[in-house]
This record gives sequence, C-alpha cells and structure tokens, in this order.
Amino acid sequence: MKAIEDVPDNQLLLFKSCMVGQEYPGVETSTCYIFDRLGIDYCINDEQSCCTGIGHYTDVFEGLTTAAIAARNFAVAKRCGYPNITCLCSTCYAVNKEACETLNTNTEVREKINSIFLEKGLENLVYEKDDMNPRTNFYHAVEILLSKVDKIREQKKFDFSGIKTASHHACHYYKVKYLDVLGNPENPQLIDNISAACGAEPVRWYEDRTLTCGMGFSQLHLNKDTSLQVTKTKLDSLQRAGVELMLHMCPNCQIQYDRYQPVIEREFGVKYDMVHMNIAQFAALSMGADPYKVCGFQTHSVPLEGFLEKNGII
Amino acid sequence: MNAALDKTAVFICHCSGNISERIDINSLKKTLKAEGIPVFDYEYLCSREGQTLIKNKILEGKLDRIVIGSCTPSKHGTLFKKCIQEAGLNRAMLEIANLREHCAWVHPDKAGATEKALSLIRGKLNRLENHKPLEEIKVNIVPQALVIGGGIAGITAAVNLADNGISTYLVEKESSIGGNMAKIGKVFSPDKLAEECAMCSLSPLMNEVVANPRITLLTWTEVERLSGSAGNFTVRLRKKSRYVHDNCTGCGRCSRVCPVLVENEFNCGYIDKKAISLRFSQSVPKIYCIDPDYCLQFKGETCGKCVEACKSGAIDFSQKEEIIELNVGAVIVATGFEEYDVSQKPQYGYGFFKNVITQMELARMLGINGPSKGILVKPSDFSLDPDAVSSTSTCSTERSLENSSEKGSGTPKRIVMIQCVGSRDEKEGGNRYCSRYCCMAALKHSNLIMKKYPGTEITICYVDLRALGFYENYYRAVQDIGVRFVRGRPAEIVEKPDKSLLVRLEDTLNQKITELPADLVILSAAMVPSKGTRKIASILNISQDESGFIKERHSKLRPVDSSLDGIFVCGTAQSPKDVTDTISQAGLAAIRGSAFIADSPKALVNEIPTINQLLCDQCTECLKCPFEAFSLNDSGKVIVDPLVCTGCGYCTELCQKGAIQISGFTKSQLKAEVEGVVKEGDLLGFVNSGIASITCDNIGNSALTYPSNVKLVKVPTNLVVDKDLLLHAFKCGASAVLFIEDPPDSPKVEVIYPLTISHFEKLKKELGDSGDRLYFKKAYVPNTRGLAGTFTSLAREGEMI
Amino acid sequence: MIPYVNKYDTPECKTLAETVKKSIRTPASLGLDRCIQCGACTASCPAARFTDYSPRQIVKKVLENDRSVLESEMIWSCFYCYSCNLRCPRNNSPVTIVQVLRQMAVNEGIGVEKLAYFLEIGEYLAENGASKIPGAGVKNMESDLGERWISFKKNLESIREELGLSSKDIRNTHGEVQAILEATGYFNREKWLKAKIQEKLLHQLLENQCIKRENRSGDFGFESDRRCPGQPAFII
Repeated sequence: MKAIEDVPDNQLLLFKSCMVGQEYPGVETSTCYIFDRLGIDYCINDEQSCCTGIGHYTDVFEGLTTAAIAARNFAVAKRCGYPNITCLCSTCYAVNKEACETLNTNTEVREKINSIFLEKGLENLVYEKDDMNPRTNFYHAVEILLSKVDKIREQKKFDFSGIKTASHHACHYYKVKYLDVLGNPENPQLIDNISAACGAEPVRWYEDRTLTCGMGFSQLHLNKDTSLQVTKTKLDSLQRAGVELMLHMCPNCQIQYDRYQPVIEREFGVKYDMVHMNIAQFAALSMGADPYKVCGFQTHSVPLEGFLEKNGII
Repeated sequence: MNAALDKTAVFICHCSGNISERIDINSLKKTLKAEGIPVFDYEYLCSREGQTLIKNKILEGKLDRIVIGSCTPSKHGTLFKKCIQEAGLNRAMLEIANLREHCAWVHPDKAGATEKALSLIRGKLNRLENHKPLEEIKVNIVPQALVIGGGIAGITAAVNLADNGISTYLVEKESSIGGNMAKIGKVFSPDKLAEECAMCSLSPLMNEVVANPRITLLTWTEVERLSGSAGNFTVRLRKKSRYVHDNCTGCGRCSRVCPVLVENEFNCGYIDKKAISLRFSQSVPKIYCIDPDYCLQFKGETCGKCVEACKSGAIDFSQKEEIIELNVGAVIVATGFEEYDVSQKPQYGYGFFKNVITQMELARMLGINGPSKGILVKPSDFSLDPDAVSSTSTCSTERSLENSSEKGSGTPKRIVMIQCVGSRDEKEGGNRYCSRYCCMAALKHSNLIMKKYPGTEITICYVDLRALGFYENYYRAVQDIGVRFVRGRPAEIVEKPDKSLLVRLEDTLNQKITELPADLVILSAAMVPSKGTRKIASILNISQDESGFIKERHSKLRPVDSSLDGIFVCGTAQSPKDVTDTISQAGLAAIRGSAFIADSPKALVNEIPTINQLLCDQCTECLKCPFEAFSLNDSGKVIVDPLVCTGCGYCTELCQKGAIQISGFTKSQLKAEVEGVVKEGDLLGFVNSGIASITCDNIGNSALTYPSNVKLVKVPTNLVVDKDLLLHAFKCGASAVLFIEDPPDSPKVEVIYPLTISHFEKLKKELGDSGDRLYFKKAYVPNTRGLAGTFTSLAREGEMI
Repeated sequence: MIPYVNKYDTPECKTLAETVKKSIRTPASLGLDRCIQCGACTASCPAARFTDYSPRQIVKKVLENDRSVLESEMIWSCFYCYSCNLRCPRNNSPVTIVQVLRQMAVNEGIGVEKLAYFLEIGEYLAENGASKIPGAGVKNMESDLGERWISFKKNLESIREELGLSSKDIRNTHGEVQAILEATGYFNREKWLKAKIQEKLLHQLLENQCIKRENRSGDFGFESDRRCPGQPAFII
C-alpha cells in the first residue's frame, strides 16, 4: 500500500494525456488550476510523447516498443528535472509504471532498448537500471490532489453540500499495480474523499462499484453491444442509488460514461439523471474555477448547465 | 606441528554428499596429514557409527583435542560434545568447523570451497591450542512451570503438568479462562456424527484447574518480562485490578443493578454486558470484574449501586494492581489465535452489510449464552438498542426477537458460507496457509442449523474441501442432510435494498456464473495468531514464522519446542489447528515441559565471563553490566551470576585491566582463530551467536551463494572484539571486517544492540583511516538474501582494493 | 506467409505456459502454475458476465498446452480491466496471459483483422507524438454520438485556445518517436499485418463463392457488430 505521506508535491511532470487533450482538455487545465493554487511544483513538457497505451492495449504495439517509448519519456522527465511522472490518465499511469519495472528488472530488454538508442544516435535516452523507481516516481494526479485535500477544503469557494456523488476509480489505477494504491485496492476511496472535501456527499458503496467502464480498448469499437451493456450496468446501479454526479479519474472512462450515456438512453430506452466530471474539474469548480474557461465543460456530451444552475454557479 | 596439538585429530563428515560433493575432502586430508595431523572422514558423523568412530579414535590415539568439520554446530553441536565427553574428554576440547552452511552450500566453486574449508579447520585447530578444560556449571532446575494462556491448550497443558506432579501457574489475561473454545458453543464428533456442547467438555476441565492443588490460577494477569535462563526463569506478572475481592459469591446482583451497558468482546461486540460483569456465565473463577473504562465511579460520577447490592462487601474501587514475580523452570506458551479481520476483503462487504458475519459470530449466535440466546436471526433484523434494555431485565434479547418475528422475517432461510476468506490467499493482507479448521466449522454449523431449522437452504462455497481422516464421515453426513456445495471462490457480495444479499461466483463444476441469493452470509475467516501470541513471542524472545505463529524447533522432531530451551508451545499459538489437535499437542507440550524439569540439575552454557582475580583491582566498572550480573562478594571480590549473565561480553569492554574474558572467546582464542582463518583479501565477519548466526546459516539453507573469501567467526556479540583483535585481523590480510549483529527485537537485544552500535562507532574512530574498513550489519532472519548481498558486495570491494 | 516473430511478447518455447511466463507482458512473479481453478477471475470478469468468455478456462487451456485457444474468438473478448489480476488468490494474471495469447494469434495471422481498426495509431504517433481515436472509430462515434460531438470536434482547436492550451495537442519529439518505432520493428510489423489482412480478405472473398455465409462466423471474419470494422486501415 502506498502511504499518503510519501506522495510528493514537487518535481512533478504533469504527463499529458492524448485522450484528455482531444476529448476533455478541461481536465488538464483544471488540474493546473488546482496545482497552481496549492503551490505544487510541476511542469508540462511538450517533448513528452503518448505513453502508447491505446496502441498497447489494442494489441498493436509490442512490449518492446512500449518500453522504449516509456524509456524516452523517462529521459525527458529526468532531463527537465521533474522526474515524478504524474498522470491524468490511469492507463498512462499503469503503462509507465509497468514499463519502468520491466526496464529495471529485465536486463535483456533494457540492453536491447539501449542498443536501439545508440544505433539511432539517441545516447541521451539511454536508460540505466534504477534510473526511475516504479514505486516512487509514478503518480496519478488524483493522488496529488488527495494529499492536499485539506488545502482544497480551505480554498473551497462553492460548497456542494447535498450533492450525491459517486466515484468511478479507474481500473488501470488500482487493478494493474494493486500493491501501490492509496488505500485498500478492493475499496479505493480517493475520489470520494476529495469529493467530500468539496462538501459533496459521496455514495461510497454501490452495487458493481468495481465494475469496469466497459470501454475495454478494442471492445467499444469491435463489440459495442457488450461494451455498452457493461456501461449500462453501472449507470443503472448509480441511478438506483440516486447519484447526481459521477466523478472520474481517467479520460477513457469519462468518454464511455459521458459520451455514451445519451447513446445508452437512446438505444436501451432508459433515462439517467446523472452528469459526469473528472474529479479535478469538480475540485477546480469548487475552488472557484470558470466552468468553461477552466473546466472546459463545453466539450461534454451530457450537458452540465442544469447542474451548474442548480448549484448557483451559472 | 605445534607441540600442543600432537594429540589432536580432525574428523570430516561427508553429510551424504552435501559436503563431499562441493569440497575435495581428499585434498584436505592430504594437506593436513602432511602436517602430521590425523584426519578421518565418514559419510555421516552424526550417526551411531560415526560417533563410535570418533570415540574409538580418541581412545586408540589417546587424543585430547578434536576438530569436527560438519554441518552448523547449532544442529549437532550438543550431540558431538556429548560424544567426546563419553570418550572422556572435556567438552571444551571440541571445535566444530561449519563446512556445510558456511562453505559447501554457499560456494559453488569447488576449489574456492576447499580452500576455505581448510582455513576454517585451521582456525579451529589454532583455537584448540589455547583451550583449557572448562568446569561444568550446573544448576538445579526450578520444579515449577508457567503456562501462558488459559484456553483449551493452556488448560490441558496445566492439568497434565499438575498430574505429573509439577506445581504449575496458569496465567490468563482475561477475567476467566476458557479462551475461544468457550465461545464456539458446540464441538462436532466425527464418529457419533453429532455436535456436543463445548462448554460441557470445557467446564469440568476449568473446574479441575481450580480444584487441583498443584495449579495456581492467575486470571486478569499479563506477563510483562522474562529473565534468567532455561531451568531458572524469573517471570514478572502484572495482575490487574478487578475491583472485586475474591470473596465474591458470583450471585450477580451487582451486574443487575449496574446502569452501564458496554460492548461485549466475548459476544463479538454486541452491546449486552454491564460495566461489572462475568466474561460468561460459567466463568472460572466466578468472580465479577469491573471495567474501569466504563464504570461511572471511575469517570468521576457517584454511582455505587453495585456496592449497595453486594451482600458480601466484595466490591472495592480502591483495589490496586499487583506485580508478581515467579521463579519457574519451564514455560509453555498457549496464547492462541484470533479470527482474521475480514474487513480487509471489502469485496465481501463485512462491516458494510449487516447480514455478512463470520463463523465465530455465527457460533456466538448459535450459542445459548450468545447475544440471541441461540436463536438464528438476521443481524439486520436484530438489534440490541441500549435504550430498550431496562436496567433490571435480562430479557432484552428476547424482546427484540419478538419484534423481529412480528415482522416475520427474523430467521434466515437462505444461508451461504464462503470458505478460505483470508486463507490460501497470496494477496496483500491475506495469508498463504490453509487455516485447517474452517471446512469443519462450516460443516458443523451447517449441520446444526439444518437440524434446528429444517428446510433452510445452506450453500457452502469452497475451493477444496478438507475433511481429513475420519472427518470425512461427518462431511458425508452433512451432504446427506441436504447442504449444497458449490465449487468456486466468490468474487463479491451485493446487498439488495431489502438487506438480502447476492453472492457472485462461478460454479466451476458446471462452468456457470452464478448469483446465490442469501439472507445471511457467513465468512469462514482465517485463523491468525492472537495479539497476545505476537506480544508474548517478543517478550520471551522466541522465534515466530512469517505469519507471526510461534515457530517450533523442528516440525517433525521437535514439534512443541520453541527456539529457546525450556520454553514450549502448543495449540493455535503454534499453527492453525482445531480443538482435537490442540488438545493432543498441549499434552505433548506438558510432557516435554515436565521432562525438562525432571532432568535437573542442568549443565549451563559455560560461555560466560571468568574473572582473573590477580588482575582485578576491584574498580567496580564491571558492575555497570546492564543485566546486573556482577556483584562484590563478602570478601570484596567481583563475582558473576551465571544465571543472570547473558554472555554478551560488555564487561570485557568495561574492564580496563583486562581481567575479564569470556570463556571460549578469550582474546588469545579469537586471535588464534583469526590467524588460521584469514587469508589476504578476505572479508572477515564477526557473527553474533544468536539470530545473526541463524541468518548466516540460513543463507546456506536458502541455496544462496557468496564469494569464498568471506570468512565468518562466531562471537557472543561484537562487544568482545577489541581494537587489538581488529588490527590483528588486518595484519593477517583481512580487507575489511563486518560486524553482524542481532536486531533489537527482544528485550535482551534491545539492551545489547545500542551497546554494540556505540562499541562499533568507538572502534571506527580509534582505528583512524582503517576505520573505513569496518562495517556493521543488522541481520534479520528472513533477510538472508540481503545479507548474502552484503557479503558479496563487500567481498568484491575488497578484491578491488 | 510466414508467421511474424515477436521475441519479447511471445518468446518461442515448448509450451504455451512457458511462453506466457517468459513474455514481458506478464509479471515476473506470475502464479500461472499455482492456479487452483477457483473461478474468482471468471466471477469477477465483466466479459464473462455478458458473454461466454471465461478467464479460468483460458488459463486451463494454457496449462493443458491446448493451442486451439489461439483460434478461439474468446480471447478477443477481454476488456483488459485487470479485475482478475486484482482478485486472483494465487497471483496469477489471466488478463496479461490473454495479451500474450492475442499476440501469438496475431503472429500466426489468426487475429490480424482485429487489429485492422487500430493500425493508424502507429503512424499518427510517429508523426505527432500523440495517439488518437482511429479513423474508423471516429466514423462509428460520429454515428453513435451525433451532432453535439461532431460540432465539438470541429471546434476543438478554438476550445483548446480558449482554455489557454495550444490549438492542437501535438508533441515535439524531435523525430525520436519515429526513430524508435522504426528501430523496434514496429513499421515492419505494421507492413506484415497489412499484407496479412489483405491476404485474408482475398481468401475470404474466394471462399465466399463456394461456402455459405452462415458457416463462416466464428472461425474467421469480423465478429464486430460495427458498421465500420476497420476497412480504412487496409485500403492502402
């Protein structure tokens, strides 16, 4: 188990996520908005590439490619002096952490990748064993937010009391590297605790709370019916629990729930009273961020206007 | 050849290839014989034939000093010492070179291993030159025993000891003996296929404890400290205050008038007990006890209702706790288990879903002295609202039951039991072992429920059903009565709005994902060592396994001996087991304890300080001994108490005159051994003879390796290593010296460890530049890999220099 | 066409179990041999709940060295949600085993068509340093999500600017990502995959002329219920 005291607040490389950038850019700006106000020492580096996650988990990339791209990103992080890779996307988090473990423990792979770097004249990317520590150099942005939850509470401008929220903790945050989760991986509470600090009432226990979002990388694209059935199962459970706001920590899950909720409503003839946000968007909102210029709610599929009006934000 | 050694011989054991396959014994023989030293080898020196060989050679050659090259002395040291004593030699005249754990098993390179073996033997030969016969120190064993823990294991052990004529103290931290067996209500019988009342078996035994004149029962008492040595332990006990004197008649008037309800640990946390209470109605001794955390009187309020009600004037708020010191020869640890905390598996919803309970909670529920008076209920329908309980009535439970039966939903109709919760589980927080009791507990409870509530649907979700031996008969009977078995490990439990549950699993035999509806789910929680077991292991400084159970010396040959002489273990403190096995093992522990006591007087380890009275100027520095082993006798001379002395060697550092030396580890002996052992470029390790030594041996047992230029010399602690000896080691060629010390995990080492640290720092300073070549390492038993790594990296560093 | 060699994901070994254990996709401490077939994986699996998929049976087949598992549609149903990885009491990890099986299937040309949909990801990554939803996916999402999403996608650049971000999420990798993809053999593999998909498509067309359509499903063919199952990727 990871200890909350060990979560750093400096030298964080805020690892850009492709799906955040293309679908929910407000997640990145909201995270920066909070980080700036909590005095967190971080940087964003445009030299950092995609983690390969989408290609890796659609079976397109081989493990060697993924590890080599990761080694390059580690070199970028170290070179700019911000070696604590902090991800907005749970898949980036898992891919980087696993790649780091492979690079440290699998000499054959490490040497092969280094020989590739040398062959291509990329000496500056060479990865030495233990250059990065899989347990202490990799974080999800939510972990940083949770470690500063008291400050978020202090700086809260809007209080969301009475709002029933539910968390969807991303599978690739707590099921891949389950030994490094803040709290018991069978019952993660990170988002709930931040949501509570914003005044909301988290529904900490609901049926199927550990069920995946249903995106399943290739599944949404190749087996849409099953994919949406999985998504619907959780939405149904949350509807029964009377949840108004579902909070996310991964853009892939957010696409699945926010973008596809209207599709499910249409195709299955159901109706949900639920809106979606990333927890960073929610916390930023609570700290007074502009819903459109910071949180970027105009990119959402389930309109948030009703929710924002009800809470007197717009 | 040195004249002192002209009657010395070397014996080398092949250990059936363990040694001979890795070390070239012929080459050893050739080298030593060329120097005029007789060498003999044999396939198994530890065998009867091997010992006869040693004895015959001693008698034939009139030998007076022996070196044996074999496995670690901690394995057969005692055996070989006895062997040479039988041939008429003093036991000090034997040295054992550890050719197996320290050589053959850790150095795959045969040439290197052979060279090192030779140096180890040379070290021992050198040492023998300076040996003088040691006088045997014998002490009488105190003919009394202490049993810690008053559950079925401790009770059985105490009664057996007493029956063997040994005066026994039975210590229990709760206010009554009985332990977990008193909680479980029923025990099953595999031959009668019936469930018997556990209390009916236990109660007579508990009464025998009180009735037996050789047993002194101390309840509400905890062990604080153990000192002394095997055969003569001093135990410090804290007898907490009950605030009720022994003249209590157990009438219960006090409890009936007490206005404060408290959580009842005995009933798994139900709030059905008063601030003055018995642990359970058949408590032994039947003396009430006040919980000062809840009693109004102790919260500064005036109440005193119990004092008014008590007719014998037994209640006394000013009663003080007592410290008791006992002298005992042997100790039996029977501190038991507790249930695994199933809330660590949130997928089963324990703590969130009211109708998910553990087998122990079910046992309490089915017990007629339990919270629901033996009636099977759904916890969601059953509450003990403190406000609803009138201060004089005891029928509160019945009332809430009436309420629930009015709703008509009180009795669960569908019950699902989940096996292996926290057992056979490699995940964080789980236990890898099988807990042994849970399959039978589930079968027992199913049978009980089916007999009392026919028509109940019970499903047991299992992975492997373990009904060993005759228990299979009982399993078949439970199958016959209609209990359903589903093979699969449930993934999770879902709670429906009406508080009923769904258990989601794959029935792996029909390969279907199934959702079993249930009104009540029972988790068969793993058995883990109780907090008391963990605490006692640390107070007594005995080894535990990785799960915290107390480790036996040898699983087959010494199943109830702890790692320390004179301390025995039985029951679930040693490993998960059921009542039957616990009772068998407790009987054995009692026999081992009484045999140990009967073997009086006992020869003590002679590795303790000797004082050269000619050099001693009575400066009394040695009286700073942290164990207070030194004193001045009537004639003003310094003497040492062999029973108190731990042999740590701190006194050798304190004594400026050099008048104190540790027998077997004198300066000249250590110097001689170092001279024989060390070659140019070696890493020399001084190993504490306790935990550190076991860890070094374990490197060999774990099939790990390190370079053969690492040489280890055993010392009581590093406190006997002085600057002079270190300089000597460097002169002999040592590239570096490593101190390997026991970790401060026990009261004894907690005292010694800081002394070794400051001793190390002092030496480092005194050595000046050479101080950089002195290292220190704490050796934890499980960390064999780490220690082997340290050896390797330091040895490699040395090679580079 | 000869099978593709993927040394690190699918090292060549005598048995499936050996390959799976040596693959870099599975954890070093994989408890495969310790599996007790308890079904905790299947009971925790979203795919098993809604389809015939069973991680427990896949593990069993791997342990039995039953190579027919590579041809089974089943392995393409996993969501990669890692629930089995979290729950397995023996520290086995069916989800990573399935990743290895899929790679083995692809190498033998069995499952190549499942990748067709996503093959653009590599080139896009080389060029922009980022990934995107593949073209066929965008088409399907357009039909699923409709006007609101399409118009947001059209306005993405101005929305990003409004948020103070660069108009496009493009990374400056100095050509290093391109070089890495070349050197790790990604582009060769992509070429091989495309050729293999073409070959299969032709084969399928030929077979279609003599075999009835119904017989085809299951063995091979696009199991997808999607309208755009990835054709864009192999119209080169």
